Amino acid sequence: MDRSSHLSVILDLCPTQWSLSAKPSNPHPLPFDTFLSHLLVFLNSHIAYKHENSLAVFGALPGKSVLFYSSEEAGDLSTAEVVQSDPNSYRFFKTLDQSLVQRISREFDILGQPDTEEPPALVGALTKAICYINRLLHPAQTLSSPEDSANLPEPRILILSVSPDASNSYIPIMNSIFSAQKLKITLDVCKIFGPDSVFLQQAAYLTGGSYIYLEHREALLQYLIMSFLPTPSIRKIITIPTEDKTDFRAACFCHKHIVDVGYVCSVCLSIFCQPVPVCSTCRTKFPMKTLQRLNMTRTPSQPSTPRPTNGTPTRQVFSGLAANLR
Amino acid sequence: MPAVEELSAKDVGPHPLLAFLQSQPKKALSRLYQRPSSCLCIFRLLGPLERQIVMNILWLDASIPASTMSSWVVREGKKEYDQALIELSRIDVLVNSATELTLSATFKTSLRQAITGGGSTGSFGVPLPGHSEHPTPSIATLDTYALEKWESILHYMVSSGTGLPSAKPSAGVEFLLERSGLMAKAREMTSSQITSTGFQFLLHTPHDQLWALLLQYLEMSEERKTDIVEVISFLFMLSTMELGKEYSVDTLTKAQEHMLSDLRDYGLVWQRKATPRRFSPTRLATTLTSSLPPLPTATGAGGAGDSKGEGFIVLETNYRIYAYTDNPLQTAVLNLFINLKSRFPNLVVGSITRDSVKRALMNGITADQIISYLTTHAHPQMRKNKPLIPVTVQDQIRLWELEKNRVKSDEGYLYTSFASLADYEYVLKHGRELGVILWESAARRCFFTSVEGHASIRLFIERSGQNQQPNRG
Repeated sequence: MDRSSHLSVILDLCPTQWSLSAKPSNPHPLPFDTFLSHLLVFLNSHIAYKHENSLAVFGALPGKSVLFYSSEEAGDLSTAEVVQSDPNSYRFFKTLDQSLVQRISREFDILGQPDTEEPPALVGALTKAICYINRLLHPAQTLSSPEDSANLPEPRILILSVSPDASNSYIPIMNSIFSAQKLKITLDVCKIFGPDSVFLQQAAYLTGGSYIYLEHREALLQYLIMSFLPTPSIRKIITIPTEDKTDFRAACFCHKHIVDVGYVCSVCLSIFCQPVPVCSTCRTKFPMKTLQRLNMTRTPSQPSTPRPTNGTPTRQVFSGLAANLR
Repeated sequence: MPAVEELSAKDVGPHPLLAFLQSQPKKALSRLYQRPSSCLCIFRLLGPLERQIVMNILWLDASIPASTMSSWVVREGKKEYDQALIELSRIDVLVNSATELTLSATFKTSLRQAITGGGSTGSFGVPLPGHSEHPTPSIATLDTYALEKWESILHYMVSSGTGLPSAKPSAGVEFLLERSGLMAKAREMTSSQITSTGFQFLLHTPHDQLWALLLQYLEMSEERKTDIVEVISFLFMLSTMELGKEYSVDTLTKAQEHMLSDLRDYGLVWQRKATPRRFSPTRLATTLTSSLPPLPTATGAGGAGDSKGEGFIVLETNYRIYAYTDNPLQTAVLNLFINLKSRFPNLVVGSITRDSVKRALMNGITADQIISYLTTHAHPQMRKNKPLIPVTVQDQIRLWELEKNRVKSDEGYLYTSFASLADYEYVLKHGRELGVILWESAARRCFFTSVEGHASIRLFIERSGQNQQPNRG
């Protein structure tokens, strides 16, 4: 129960969304600097929780992803970047706070004010976070016995998201989710601003994490501490909020639309929003007859109608394609 | 996963220091909680569930109704949750846990301050820039120093039993060892001898050993009328300090300055000379509040090139032991329960025999302690085996222990001289229903009951109009 835990935090640093979030016209405006101060307290609490707890902070900036801070470097930091020691604060907290703030502002300076803004590289940050944990769970020495695995930390990833889904990142996000499942990483998502994210909802659902849409945004810290600070073993005793409705809709591989009813390749399970003669992923050719029949049964308005819940592709379509292939 | 939970269930018991804090008056606790570093350390010593509860209410300004909080708890976890609340209120972190939950005001302010930084208490120690003439000791120097000091204490304990000469630690250390009952002075002897608790102590992990001694130290300071709050908060300050930095003595109180010399003897603090104005904490001190101690000291294989903290013992199914070590302490500890056969520069060969284990058992070491010592110090090569310690050896050590316990004693009452077999069986039947019969013999018409059962059996006999004489067993 008292294992150490590792937390990787992914910050969605999309400038446009943050400036929208800070607008006083919002019901609960949340400027970035307030967010940052809440976040720092949360990160410090994680370090305070246990001596062995480790931390890594990644940023998803427009077009690139950066590792801002990791507890590994905290040891060497005293030589590299001199952090003024202070008798009134714990050294690890001070190092964390200072270097994180410094590096975020440096990245924002580099970013400047471009005319067009690329979408934030959430996938890049997520992949880096998973790779980081993978390295942590498989140290250089081969640890094979169960006794040793008890000393390895429990890994978690927390995504603090502000921007809407980018539908072309569906496949890489799904792939990251599967790798996370394999490494037994819990993915937590806190949606701070913007519309619900279908992909991240699925990410939390599939890895046993929790997806929380922040309603009272001035209480961010309390949300963070009560929902995302407990380790998976504590969550068995003190429950944390989870979504009761998760949007399971997928994005098609051909146009990256989020679809209610899709057409699934019976060989490789690729999803398409319309019947195709040849699967673009595995090059399987489908019989002409099936295509024609499927095209006839198609309702014209399908890809655009949004349906919030239970959008699993219907079984008929699955079996239809499969039966015709035989 | 089940293996992990089993393991943690065993060792997750509350930290020994918390029990000590419970025994302190409220006034002392609230003075202790004025220092952010102490609050941070106490927070870390709490159980995982207790830590989460504290965190959940730390940033709330008003108190929260207890019912609101407990509605977050799943039904199966209710017992643990209630237990956690009780533990918290015992050390006065939580107040008034019956209807609403709120942290004690001092604790709340200080822990908040510890996490956010700021304030002017200076409770994390005042660091000094490097001295021009005497450079700050490197981490390796500190580790060697701590290792040397700590092992010399342990080695002194081990060798006292064998009569081999070893360097005597300072008078303070010797006194502490005697006071804690780990060593005792025999009547005609000038030097003290290790006791059976001392032998058990040697097989504990370094972290447990350190805390056991420090708790003794705290009790000793209490008797000496030193301000206990200053002693504890200084220990906590040390544990939040950074390894490889020097700190100033100037901000310490008199009592704390006095402690420095004691802590130097235990290897927790490094000082260049006897009365300097600066000191450095060693790894022993900075890992005080971590539960998985990354102590390269004491567990290390001792050799410079060896990867530290790795096991060194290879145990075969034929009871032979190969220990890859040149460390006199480890050899001496092994010598407690194995027969040493030969020694090489980096290897000790011996075997576990009935006599060697019996000898250990006589010293008060248990079979489980031997097995757990062998498990924790097993060579990486051995970790491929499953189970790690050969079953034959494990069972045999346990059997040897059982040999010692052939006679089991229970206190109770013997009932004899029943008039007839019918009477005997009538009373015996009642006793069996109550489950208090420890032994019976129909041929001799007598049986033996436990102490708890005596009253009801006697009442039963009296009621049945019988007239028996119970004999104390």
